[in-house]
Amino acid sequence: MAGEEDPTNRRRAGRGTFARLLTFLSPYRASLAVSSVLAIASQVAGIFVPVLTGVVIDELGDDRETRVLVAGIAAIVALGLVRGVLMLGRRIISGRQALAVEYDLRDNLYAHFLRLSFGFYDRNQTGQLMSRATIDLQSVRFFLGYGLIFFAQHVVTIVVVTAVLVVYSWELALVALGITPAIIAIAYRYSRVSHPVLRQVQEKLGDVSTVAEESIVGVHVVKAFAQEEPREERFAHATDEVFERTLAANRQRALYVPLLTFLPLVAQAAVLLVAGRMVISGSLSLGDFFAFNLLLAMLVMPLRMIGMWVGQAQRAIAAGDRIFEILDEPEEVADPPAAQPLPPGPGHVRFEGVDFGYEPGQLVLEGVDLDIPAGRTVALIGRTGSGKTTLAALVPRFYDVTAGRVLVDGTDVRDVLRRTLRHEIGVISQDPFLFSASVRDNIAFGLPDAGHETVEAAARAAQAHEFVLDLPHGYDTVIGERGITLSGGQRQRIAIARALLIDPRILVLDDATASVDATTEARIRAGLREVMRGRTTIIIAHRLSTIALADEIVVLEHGRIVARGTRAELLEESPLFREIHDHGLLQQVVPG
Amino acid sequence: MRVWQAGGHLTDQRAASVDDWSWRQTRRRLGVLAGLARPYPGRTALAVVTLVAYTLVALLPPYLAKIAVDDGIAARDLEVLTAVVIAFVASGLAAFGLSALQTYFTGWVGERGLADLRIRLFRHLQRLSLGFYERNRTGAVVSRITNDVEALDQLVTDGFSSLVQNGLVLAGTAVVLFLLDWRLALATLLVLPVMAGATAWFRVRSNRAYRRVRERLGLVTATLAEDISGMRVVQSFTREPTAQRSFRGVNEAYRGANYETVVLNGLYFPAVDVLSSVATAIVLGFGGYLVVDGSLTVGTLLAFTLYLSNFFDPVQQLSQLYNTFLSATAALDRILTVLDEEPEIVDAPDAHELPPVQGHVRFEHVDFGYGDLPDVLHGFDLDIPPGTTVALVGHTGAGKSTIAKLLTRFYDPRAGRITIDGHDLREVTQESLRRQLGIVPQEGFLFAGTIADNIAFGRPEATREEIVAAATAVGADEFVDGLPDRYGTQLGERGFRLSLGQRQLVAFARALLAGPRILILDEATSSVDIGTERRIEHGLERLLAGRTAFVIAHRLSTIRRADLIVVLDHGRIVEQGTHDELMSAGGPYTRLYGDWAADVA
Repeated sequence: MAGEEDPTNRRRAGRGTFARLLTFLSPYRASLAVSSVLAIASQVAGIFVPVLTGVVIDELGDDRETRVLVAGIAAIVALGLVRGVLMLGRRIISGRQALAVEYDLRDNLYAHFLRLSFGFYDRNQTGQLMSRATIDLQSVRFFLGYGLIFFAQHVVTIVVVTAVLVVYSWELALVALGITPAIIAIAYRYSRVSHPVLRQVQEKLGDVSTVAEESIVGVHVVKAFAQEEPREERFAHATDEVFERTLAANRQRALYVPLLTFLPLVAQAAVLLVAGRMVISGSLSLGDFFAFNLLLAMLVMPLRMIGMWVGQAQRAIAAGDRIFEILDEPEEVADPPAAQPLPPGPGHVRFEGVDFGYEPGQLVLEGVDLDIPAGRTVALIGRTGSGKTTLAALVPRFYDVTAGRVLVDGTDVRDVLRRTLRHEIGVISQDPFLFSASVRDNIAFGLPDAGHETVEAAARAAQAHEFVLDLPHGYDTVIGERGITLSGGQRQRIAIARALLIDPRILVLDDATASVDATTEARIRAGLREVMRGRTTIIIAHRLSTIALADEIVVLEHGRIVARGTRAELLEESPLFREIHDHGLLQQVVPG
Repeated sequence: MRVWQAGGHLTDQRAASVDDWSWRQTRRRLGVLAGLARPYPGRTALAVVTLVAYTLVALLPPYLAKIAVDDGIAARDLEVLTAVVIAFVASGLAAFGLSALQTYFTGWVGERGLADLRIRLFRHLQRLSLGFYERNRTGAVVSRITNDVEALDQLVTDGFSSLVQNGLVLAGTAVVLFLLDWRLALATLLVLPVMAGATAWFRVRSNRAYRRVRERLGLVTATLAEDISGMRVVQSFTREPTAQRSFRGVNEAYRGANYETVVLNGLYFPAVDVLSSVATAIVLGFGGYLVVDGSLTVGTLLAFTLYLSNFFDPVQQLSQLYNTFLSATAALDRILTVLDEEPEIVDAPDAHELPPVQGHVRFEHVDFGYGDLPDVLHGFDLDIPPGTTVALVGHTGAGKSTIAKLLTRFYDPRAGRITIDGHDLREVTQESLRRQLGIVPQEGFLFAGTIADNIAFGRPEATREEIVAAATAVGADEFVDGLPDRYGTQLGERGFRLSLGQRQLVAFARALLAGPRILILDEATSSVDIGTERRIEHGLERLLAGRTAFVIAHRLSTIRRADLIVVLDHGRIVEQGTHDELMSAGGPYTRLYGDWAADVA
């Protein structure tokens, strides 16, 4: 978001966002209407209580009629009951609708997250996206769900009470309400000035968490370097900054909150004085005096809140903008209208004149031509940044080529339904992401309905079956964030089983064995050899042993293919391959 | 105030349950809380005085209104009316001032006290031994400093003053009402038990409901966090429809839990409203009867109606406090548990500074095991002359890392002793010991801050020249020069991300600058590309030169060059010698080496 915009433009954009936010309410027009009517009715019922109180007080005078008195009191109780029922209805109906709106917003956002492509996730950090899906969504839903209704309710109260006051005595109403603009303005101002300070408090609290977290996670480093005291100083400093900012927020609170309590008191005092004189002079009855005072008390809360709600609305619009930024993010890799399922085939992969760049004008791959016959295994090797991973990612269409085309069994990957394409490609990455679920659910990730035999067969092929059986609950053991922690090698084997389970035509192993030790790697390799049979496989690896699985080796440098052939051929021809080869042994990390 | 932290609070569903309600524990809690205010007696006194004064002044306006009506309006005395109105405004002004001061001082003392507590907690955590960190999940420990202190925040800043204020208002109003007219007061207070009963019911039910809401929101957030981080896998395996379905499930469950609170609130708040109408009717009916009777003034009636809200608001607010109070108590208990942890490793009372050492390391008949577990090392002997590079090899669990932890005195042996240049580690101060040790841990853990800060971590007073020299010596200068702000480049969450290899190089420079006599290299990074690999090897050579070094789980190249290779199995040394000696011996090392080298076949 640009900060230097023309304010008129921004206001117009804000209005646009606001209107767009309102569209989330449109499915609930009926319940919105009903709850608004109920809200207004209950407010009006509430206003009659002071009016009736006034009537009762007047009946206490000398020419009293007991019937009116009793009726007045009964009416107060009856009104209270009616009001209660109306409020109950209003709360339930509007509450339902607020929750429905929240549900829809979240559902929409999530559905869009599912559609956005890899490029989007490369550009945005998880934390950022999370904060939109949680914090921003929270302020939008609060505003749409409750804010608008409260706002309307407060406006109704203010308007109706003002009208009633004017009916009693317009002069008195003028005296009483003279101060209201000030109350609204001050409440609004408080909401405006407090927001940035509260945000700063949050930021500083974030710093405290960061220092705490890294000092605790890295406690062995802190202790090893005997740096406890400097860390403490740093932490104390971060804590003091929170204190300082909180104190600033506290100072604001100490000024504004009592001020907002004091101002209505001034109005009350003015009414006491003027209305008192009017009662004495006989131009106002004592009952009306009572009613006037009580009505005035009813105004205090709505006046204070209305200023706050305006601030809330601004925040909701800003949050809405951030949510719409995501919802407006185009689906880069979308199915074309005439997309067909991927026709059956043996798994022949072909790159034709492929150019690709993540950023416009910066090609990562240039003029890549590569034909991988069905059932063959090709190893891609090269230095970091040479384009190996990118090349492999084009096959499942995680990205679209900038020029040229990628064919699977003769069909351009852009012409087929993504779902059917990806179903035929098993991807195993260097640091596999597993979900907090049971081992079984993780292995059956691509085919949730797979039977136990299928899961176990995949696990056996990936050399995972044995250690899974040793886990506390076997295949039902929950792993990850909320479960037990697996070692890198174990996670890798689960990921391999997961890829095998979908029985893909094509396998992509992106540095899949880098983080496991030699003994485990040897076992995985044995499993891999088995499962690669009959599948087209693309391997990206640093390890010679893994590279040795390939029928052919392709050497990439700066996004171009510089050499290809068997190991023996390349040892002759490619200096880069020789370098990688010679380093293979010494680079080997001995297991801990 | 809550901060959303990725993952952090997901695993830490804060249960607001308190187990220990014994008087001892309660007294201890109060003692800790009171202790927070103790260093600031002046401000604390001001906070208390202004709080009480404010509450009393705030009780005045309805009473003044009564005087205005009875002695001013009813008596047709303009002077009294004017005087009362002036008093009315004056009391408002006084309330304004007192309330401002009270808010300020309460906030000041509360926030300062919590900041102090946070610092004390952090200091304590830094003193605790590694054993504590191995027993507790880091997420949970961090949560003590962040979430739990914040849960206390609500109680200390808002809760405490709210409790006193609402309590005083409630009591004060009751007293005033009885003084005004005890009969009407009694009649009015009839509503109070009903109100209290309704509130208690509502509290219990809504506590349960809100706990469910929190749990299910936690589930929504956790699902979102996980699915966004794992989106590439979701899409690779075309799991979108299933993912959408299961997200709808948690979203729906959350909505359901929320709906329960909507219904509860929908019942409670209108009920309170009805009760207040009933109370108004009682005041008007019975009060009206008394007025007609001539035994009550109209002004008193007005005061009663105005005071009514004084009754309803505090009861509601006090009931809301209950929740805050429970979760704050639970948080405080968790904090106390941490503060009760004693560091296992402390300096001996007569510990002396370890003088500058040569680096002669001896393990003499060392027995060691973790916690109550059996020995990992048994009768372990090892003698390393100064300047030797020792590689410790063996299968997982052979005890290699344990040796490093004993040498840094993160743990003490069960029996036997460890000496450096003849000094028993238990007889020297930890600080002086660790200043002469350099540890290069796995993945080169770095801190938020600049590259320079990280290199100078062990010697914060180092000059820029020294930092650059250290970086240059290990070959980190090349990539640092390519960074946007070179040595001033910010690292960490909001800063630049280094690759594994780069982090390793910075960790080398950090160790080199600290100038240790003894180095421990624990678990090198795998999978760095060839260019970085060369630089790391070169950096290592510089780092190891002339120091005693222990190498654990490292590159084969480093192990082969070591002066001494010690092969461990189940906590015992099964073989030692140089690479060539061991290879020709054809023992366990040869077999291990065979495994590693099989990789290249």
